[in-house]
Amino acid sequence: MGQINPEQPPGLLAPHAIIARMLALLRLALGLYFVGLMHSVLTVLRKKETFFTPAAAAMIAGFLAHAASIGILAFQLRSFPMTNVYESFSFFAALAVPVFFIVCRKYRMPSLGVFMFPMIFLMAFMANMGYDQSRFIPAELMSNWLYIHTPLVILGYVALFIAFSAAVLYLIQERELKSKSPRMFYNRFPSLEVCDDLAYKSLAVGFPLMTLGIISGVLWAHSANWAHWEFDAKIQLSFVTWLIYLLLIHYRLIAGWRGKRAAYLAIAGFVSVLITFVGANYLGGLHTFTQ
Amino acid sequence: MQLAIVGVSHKTAPVEIRERLAFPSDKMRGALEALMTRAKAGEAMILSTCNRVEIVAEGPSEELVREFLYEYHRIQADTISDHVYCLQNAEAIRHVFRVTSSLDSMMIGEPQILGQVKEAFRIANDAGTIGTNLSALMNKAFAVAKRVRSETGISQSAVSISYAAVELARQIFRDLTGKTVMIIGASKMGELAAKHLKRNGVSSVLVTNRTFEKAVEVAKVFEGAAIPFEHFTDHLDRADIVITSTGAPHFVITKPMAERMIKVRKNKPVFLIDIAVPRDIDPAVNEIDNVFVYDIDDLQQVIDENLKERMKEAHRAEEIVEGEVRAFCTKMQTRSVVPTIVEMRDSLDKMRREEIERYRAKLKGFTPEQMALIDQLTESMVNKILHHPTMQLKGMADDPRGPEFAETVRKLFNIKSHQGNDEPPA
Repeated sequence: MGQINPEQPPGLLAPHAIIARMLALLRLALGLYFVGLMHSVLTVLRKKETFFTPAAAAMIAGFLAHAASIGILAFQLRSFPMTNVYESFSFFAALAVPVFFIVCRKYRMPSLGVFMFPMIFLMAFMANMGYDQSRFIPAELMSNWLYIHTPLVILGYVALFIAFSAAVLYLIQERELKSKSPRMFYNRFPSLEVCDDLAYKSLAVGFPLMTLGIISGVLWAHSANWAHWEFDAKIQLSFVTWLIYLLLIHYRLIAGWRGKRAAYLAIAGFVSVLITFVGANYLGGLHTFTQ
Repeated sequence: MQLAIVGVSHKTAPVEIRERLAFPSDKMRGALEALMTRAKAGEAMILSTCNRVEIVAEGPSEELVREFLYEYHRIQADTISDHVYCLQNAEAIRHVFRVTSSLDSMMIGEPQILGQVKEAFRIANDAGTIGTNLSALMNKAFAVAKRVRSETGISQSAVSISYAAVELARQIFRDLTGKTVMIIGASKMGELAAKHLKRNGVSSVLVTNRTFEKAVEVAKVFEGAAIPFEHFTDHLDRADIVITSTGAPHFVITKPMAERMIKVRKNKPVFLIDIAVPRDIDPAVNEIDNVFVYDIDDLQQVIDENLKERMKEAHRAEEIVEGEVRAFCTKMQTRSVVPTIVEMRDSLDKMRREEIERYRAKLKGFTPEQMALIDQLTESMVNKILHHPTMQLKGMADDPRGPEFAETVRKLFNIKSHQGNDEPPA
């Protein structure tokens, strides 16, 4: 942990004590997110949302610890930590919490937590597992583009994650209504219209962010004279993901797709996001953040 | 508190008997006054709804209340006595809590009963027949009803066809405001469902019927528009909710029709409610995306599920009521005991001070230290004397004989005032 590599740019490494404190806070956050995860498990098992309030309180407390852990490192590095896979997972998880509460408030949709809490826990868990300070961005590529490209992409992912969760809610609710025996979560799930609307709105936010993220990435590659960036696995996968979402937007706007079919495509899109975001680390190329 | 309830309900008496015992609201005041004088009640209220007639009285024995009920309605006791129930004290408290919480209702969890009890309480209060005991009891009953409502799901889900339709519509649409409902075939049930939808926000109503005059008539009721039956398919896409209840022997809405409709609507969801028998809507229509068809059996199935859920929740509600009854009984009994303890102590302490005062002249030569010692000594004697009576009284707090016991103690110690019971209810 925290090996000092002489080839890496100085100033991007934090002393061991800071890392230890940062990780302690992250683990505290993880523990609190675990309460959220348990809420989801219990809700699915009991088919009843009984513990939302304590789970929400734990998620907020977890977020505060999480924000502090990122803050400590950012303060030490004098820049936002998002140059390796752990830090980007951590950023994703931390961002998803306040976004959840904003959406939950606006749409009165606590059931969204059933899908979002486990994902937040998982992302925080991956950020915590075998944290490693190595910075995998070669010095010649390091530039301020990083602080444009990465936040855009991650923000986009969070929005698309909301779209995914809303789509799953839609499908469950739709199946219950079609089957004529609405028992599970009956009365507690938001209406189909609300789910569909949220899926559409978060797509309308997520897609442009993702597009800008990709454009900024291309500009970055150009400005750094990175030859053959188009063969990078993650970049290729991103284009596939982008195309899926483009298709979804097209069908929604032109063909008037709504509800079930749109929900399926939103889910497919997010699976593609996960493959891009997580899977690409094992496929080689410059976006590989692991050794 | 000496509480008695005498009454009949849908559980014990058929409607012929319930209606003979009913107290019309315009005669309620007179009945309450008669009850106070004839049955010598300290406090009283009468609940008279179509499902129950109950007299709640504080003070008199149940026989007196029962006699009053028969005499007032001029009914021979032996003809109805099998149907009349009498409850006392803890049983009566439990009954009041259960009735108010809608656990004793014909349809468990129905919301009207709470309002009816509140109204009965208000009338009795206006008539001046409510005192501290009934006021404490009823306020607690309202609080228990509120707790049951918020902590259990007994009145959450729909248990009637038209309400189930509204609830399902809410699962599909964000809110019903601005939505359009179309009634195909004017029938009582269809109109009732439409009325419920309208009350819940639906803004426009379209009505079509084979005889156009009838459609116009119904449309007038809903301030909607009537559509000639031959043209209703042209307007189908305008409706977000469709209620069909024609007497047609064949399907009025077929699958191709519904497919065309959803296409024109650009997949905006639509809710079709078919309450006709034989059915008006081809069940295959439900296979189309964004179209939801519920026939009368489907609605009944939803209601049955909800009823099962209610029964489960009622179980939890009974537990809440049980706990509240115990707490209330303890509180009432403690209230009869605690003032006695306090007044007994006050009375003896007063006696002690008076005696010291009386001897003050003879104690002139004593130093202040010695005076303080005398004070201490007499105080400790009073405490010793009162120790056992106090413990005994406290021990009786949970006992139904508590008030009686307290009364005996009052006599022994010559405590006259009985103000302890007059504290305002919590």
